[in-house]
Amino acid sequence: MGKEAFNSFVTAQFQFDRTAEWLGLDLPTRELLRSPLKEHQFLIPLRMDDGSVRVFRGFRVLHNDARGPGKGGIRFHPHETIDTIRALAMWMTWKCALLDIPLGGSSGGVACDPHYLTLREQEQLCRSWVKRLVHELGPQVDVPAPDIMTGAQHMLWMLDEYESLRGEKVPGFITGKPVGMGGSVGRLEAAGFGLVFALREALKELDMSADGATASVQGFGNVAQHAVRLFEQIGGRVVCVSCWDQKDAVSYAYKKEPSIEVQALAGITDRFGGIDKEKAAKMGYDVLPGEAWLSQDVDILIPAAVENQITEENVQVIHRRVRVIAEGANGPTTVGADRTIGERGILVIPDILANAGGVTCSYFEQVQSNMNYYWEKDEVLGKLDVKMTSAFNDVLEFAKKKNLPMRNAAFSIAVARVAQACKDRGWV
Amino acid sequence: MTERPKNVDTLIWFLSERAKELSCLYKIEELLNKPDPNLADICRGVIEAIPPGWQYPDICIAKITLEGHSCQSANFQETPWVQFADIKVQDKKVGRLSVYYTAEMPHADDGPFLKEETKLLGTIVERLGHYLLYSRMKQAYQDYQSARLDVAAHKAEEWRMALNFLRQTNKNLFLGISRRMLNFLSWSGIQEAEKILQKSLAGQKGRTAGYPEDDNRPYQVALSTFTEKLSDETFRLAAKHLTGEQILVNIQKWIQEDRLSFLVQVTNRNLSLTQVVDAIRRYHHIAAEGIELPAASKRGVLVSLIQRFLSDQPEFIHTAVDHVEIDDFYEILDHIVFSPESLGKLGGKSTGLYLAKHILKRSAESLSHFGEIKVPKTWYITSDGLLSFLSHNNLNEVVEQKYKDIDQVRLEYPHIIQTFKNSPFPTDIIQGLSMVLDDFKDQPIIVRSSSLLEDRTGASFSGKYKSLFLANQGGKQERLEALKEATAEVYASTYGPDPIGYRAERGLLDFAEEMGIMIQEVVGTRVGHYFFPSFAGVVFSRNEFRWSPRIKREDGLLRLVLGLGTRAVDRTSDDYPVLIAPGQVGLRVNVTADEVVRYAPKKVDVINLKTNSFETIEIKELLKKCGEGIPAVDKIVSVYDGQCLRKPLGRAVDFEKDDLVVTFEGLVSETSFIPQLRQVMRLLEEKLQSPVDIEFASDGQSFYLLQCRPQSFMEGGGPARIPKDLPKESIVFLANRYISNGSLPDITHIVYVDPESYDGLSSQADLLAVGRAVGRLNKLLPRRRFILMGPGRWGSRGDIRLGVKVSYSDISNTAALVEIARKKGNILPDLSFGTHFFQDLVEAEIRYLPLYPDEHGTLFQESFLRDSPNILPRVLPEHADIADTVRVIDVAEAAGGKVLRILMNADLDEAVGFLVDPRIDPPLAPLSKEMEKKRAENHWAWRLEMAEHIASKLDPGRFGVQAMYVIGSTKNATAGPQSDIDLLVHFRGTKKQRQDLMIWMEGWSLSLDEMNFHKTGLRSGGILDVHLVTDEDIANRTSYAVKIDAVTDAARPLLLKDGACQPDRERS
Repeated sequence: MGKEAFNSFVTAQFQFDRTAEWLGLDLPTRELLRSPLKEHQFLIPLRMDDGSVRVFRGFRVLHNDARGPGKGGIRFHPHETIDTIRALAMWMTWKCALLDIPLGGSSGGVACDPHYLTLREQEQLCRSWVKRLVHELGPQVDVPAPDIMTGAQHMLWMLDEYESLRGEKVPGFITGKPVGMGGSVGRLEAAGFGLVFALREALKELDMSADGATASVQGFGNVAQHAVRLFEQIGGRVVCVSCWDQKDAVSYAYKKEPSIEVQALAGITDRFGGIDKEKAAKMGYDVLPGEAWLSQDVDILIPAAVENQITEENVQVIHRRVRVIAEGANGPTTVGADRTIGERGILVIPDILANAGGVTCSYFEQVQSNMNYYWEKDEVLGKLDVKMTSAFNDVLEFAKKKNLPMRNAAFSIAVARVAQACKDRGWV
Repeated sequence: MTERPKNVDTLIWFLSERAKELSCLYKIEELLNKPDPNLADICRGVIEAIPPGWQYPDICIAKITLEGHSCQSANFQETPWVQFADIKVQDKKVGRLSVYYTAEMPHADDGPFLKEETKLLGTIVERLGHYLLYSRMKQAYQDYQSARLDVAAHKAEEWRMALNFLRQTNKNLFLGISRRMLNFLSWSGIQEAEKILQKSLAGQKGRTAGYPEDDNRPYQVALSTFTEKLSDETFRLAAKHLTGEQILVNIQKWIQEDRLSFLVQVTNRNLSLTQVVDAIRRYHHIAAEGIELPAASKRGVLVSLIQRFLSDQPEFIHTAVDHVEIDDFYEILDHIVFSPESLGKLGGKSTGLYLAKHILKRSAESLSHFGEIKVPKTWYITSDGLLSFLSHNNLNEVVEQKYKDIDQVRLEYPHIIQTFKNSPFPTDIIQGLSMVLDDFKDQPIIVRSSSLLEDRTGASFSGKYKSLFLANQGGKQERLEALKEATAEVYASTYGPDPIGYRAERGLLDFAEEMGIMIQEVVGTRVGHYFFPSFAGVVFSRNEFRWSPRIKREDGLLRLVLGLGTRAVDRTSDDYPVLIAPGQVGLRVNVTADEVVRYAPKKVDVINLKTNSFETIEIKELLKKCGEGIPAVDKIVSVYDGQCLRKPLGRAVDFEKDDLVVTFEGLVSETSFIPQLRQVMRLLEEKLQSPVDIEFASDGQSFYLLQCRPQSFMEGGGPARIPKDLPKESIVFLANRYISNGSLPDITHIVYVDPESYDGLSSQADLLAVGRAVGRLNKLLPRRRFILMGPGRWGSRGDIRLGVKVSYSDISNTAALVEIARKKGNILPDLSFGTHFFQDLVEAEIRYLPLYPDEHGTLFQESFLRDSPNILPRVLPEHADIADTVRVIDVAEAAGGKVLRILMNADLDEAVGFLVDPRIDPPLAPLSKEMEKKRAENHWAWRLEMAEHIASKLDPGRFGVQAMYVIGSTKNATAGPQSDIDLLVHFRGTKKQRQDLMIWMEGWSLSLDEMNFHKTGLRSGGILDVHLVTDEDIANRTSYAVKIDAVTDAARPLLLKDGACQPDRERS
């Protein structure tokens, strides 16, 4: 293994270095921000159901809390390494800063494969993890959230352990809780609606009316469905959605002029966004190959499925009419394709911004938990609109002023805000 | 010459003769009915009564000897014109009655005697015998009564009276018992007894007693001619050596056993079923009185009953004898539909279920908290019912079906079904079926096949023969018709292409297959207008699909579904049962809520009582409509709120609003269902001495066993025999940890992701490219004939470095997924065990194999994988840059025409992959899957051929066609038996031309559909799917036009008539 192995933390640092260079940050600030402030690594011996003992490695990394308490997920993954966690923590710092949420970035986890653990063993693991970190966590310190292979159940075990150690109720200790147990309403809609709030602002910028604007969407899962719903409410028309067909193991695009009917289509869609092909055809949809979503004659493209969908190879098929690409998925566009899109003058709402609705709602959950007062859905979504709109406008303005692509602008704003907070506090 | 009257007078004469005979008989009857007649008087009376009864009374005289008495006519003289008959009491001769004529008379039927006279003589003699027996018994009873008073003081002598009574009333039984006493004494080592035994043998017509000296001559056992004298000696001896009580007990026991001797006749194989049924029924009533057969004869009877109804297999009999009682057959025989001369069996399925039921019944106590295990009410039609159906309808030649070419079998099968369905059943069977329906009333039933081959070990016929659900609703006649049709269809399935193909491969064609039928009530409840069990499934006592190294094979595997178990038994491509290892309930395949929801069952099989049919419906719909009515539903579903899955609190489920997912969480964690199931499996496995699988269902209250058999494996999924003499250089890998069962006989391609090179890739893009390349290879390489080998955790959602990033669709065509764990320093990385798409692998029967090349006892020929020519740049030029990492090896090319054969054996925990020449060394048992595959390959091959053919006939000028392409499954070689042929036509013509073209195509479409029907038996009313694209479409790359010159999955151009028009390639 002579070559330097691929390492997500190295990539994250490289990305930061480039931005810091462009911003012209001073050396101490760069040094402070390119590494986490605090790192915890510890062992958790666990008594298994069969009586044997196995030892697991636990982590919690706080990248930066200059802007507020840390916020970040906990993942259970067999090959969890400190570097993956560091990269995730740094990514959270930027994301919160971009949305102007008063939180820092952190991340954590346990190197284990829950597939090999019983529920009781997982519960013990969650409780032990909290026990080790009881002084490093808290609503005013660092707030965990679910991530890969952890869910609401794990969050509740952790909350329960934390509260029993503290001898008090602390609902703001953790997010990702079910509604009724300290969770927030509006969570399901947050990501899709957030995307459309930003999209609406983008159309304003391009002097296009949302009324009558057309879009083609890749994916028909939670994010996409809610995005389509809101987009229609503001007057837009979605003419094509594509999705993966589990049975045929290929994706199909479903097209209908003048517009798809989201409600009816959702009725024949499984929980994972798979549309029933036969029923759709009966309802009058054209069933096309999956790639067809990208070549549609529309104003807006919304890739909301998985990563690496718009590539150098297929970027050419994008119709010349397209003005906006709103990235609902994580990393749907490859670097090569990004360049072409930039050259064609298409406005990109980058993933870090377009799908930030989720993080924002998670912040709202924390706020409500701390007050122990919970808002109605309208209030949650209204506040989300405000956050997304101002974040989009910040990025747009910065991009225009500095003549940067939207993606770079978003990143620069985030880093600058964190650097500023460190300076304001007199750290550097 | 004869004096006999003739013609008109004949009748008169005849009648007067009869009158004479009758009057003779009456006289004798009068004689015997006198109060207290003595024997001498009787004899005299008979002699006087006879002559008037005969044709020539004047010259007729008679003589009688009877128990020492003798009497004859006054003028008696012996003459040559005589007829006589012996007087017998209990088969023993006690006297003789003779009738003479004193002068020669004309010849009649029997000398001068009429045949009526012979008969009359017989009747008289018989009547006398009966009289004697009666008077003897009367005497004996009086003696016995008076003797009893005598011996009340010394009970010891009671046996003598019993014996005496027997001697007078039933000499045969008396002698038999004497003989048994003698045997008893001599086996007890009493020397004198042996002497008597010798004597009894010596009495045999001069044969020497003792053992024959000539070994080659069979020892002829002397038939017992035991005399009363010997009997007296025997009992004298008995009195000397045994107590009176001992003797009495023995005598009583033997008398009782004699009462059951009729049962022994069932060991006669040719006894008609009616007789067997009678015997068992009689036994059932006698057994209720507490009388038992001696152990040895009981076993003999039991074995023959088992052989007759259940199975000839010695291993089976050996096991069954320990768990089944003779009386248990009563219940079967009471539920059997048969023709009286039937010699058939119940068939494999019935047999397995029956035995399991009785094993569980006899161990009821050891099954601590398991409520009663029930078996649904079942009726049987014996296996030769099929044969009588055939001969009733003159359909016998259908038996030859099996020797025909498989394609012909396939072709003729629909006709056989139709013929069978329209053929009447023999009356016996119809009556039986009608009775069955009266018993079931309108409860839904299932008609299940239960063939003789099914109970042969090693042959898994699961799913080969039909089982049909009947809603059983409506009028009696309607229900009977449906039942007859279903039975006929199950019969027809004996001659279907699937079982015949399977039998051909297993060398079982010559076996005379017969088909038994089980008619069983369906377990379940009525919910709305549907009927189904709350849950049902299959359990295997050995787990062949372990998703974690913590799960042992012995932990078993449960496949559980809502509704009818059909969805758990069969593998469905678009749905999943819930998988649980009963020994490790905590370790679930799916961990996160997302996974649990994704792999939860989505559909349910039910019986629709309204439409009288079997249906598959959406669970979502069912729960919404009538979730409330499903018994135990709160144990079956969980509530999903988008984040969290929760067990419902009791019945507090809102079926309208809640998002419900079938998880069985309540059943697993709140009831003792799983521990109980484990107990049952352990018990069955122990008693049957083999891993087993069972099918079960529950109506929410009780557990019903539906099937039990030795654990079956999916085809090619049994433990493979691992050859020990493989030359080391032919071995590609040898593994010995976490091995499951299976064999992959002829792998033609290996996709090898070099672990070291993969580790060395520095850019994320390159790492992702590996996954993409694999996904493309998955579409290119021959389905199920290539394997994927690579480092670490395939499909891992975390760090891409730890394993190739693929989703299930990227590997869906591989035959096996091999994960390689190379040591890094001291750390041995964990493998994924395919967890990320585990259930997909299971349902698609893709094998998983972990390799630990650095572990002791393994072998890994890396050089073959590294140094063989890499065809990646040739097949996927766009991925040539990662050829160092992704190596595609054409095994035949790299190893001189050989294939890679993988054999896996979980019992030995050993697997080997080696290179072998398939022509020299064919796989041991050709797998039927392979055959399926070849057929599957044919599905696309002929389609493609026809597509090319159609193109070559298409006149481009006439129809305005610019170019034509084939796309979809035909192009991708994934076409199945029902696939369409997708044609893409680049059209530039007029509206008229368009019409003409479509009509022309329609003609082809129908003919091809007919062709497909001949090949597969499937008809769809047209097989061509023609998509027209215009210049505009191509320019805009809209609609199907994107397929033309696409980067991936591009349309394949076809040559048109005369090669006139080539595809338009302006852009390239």
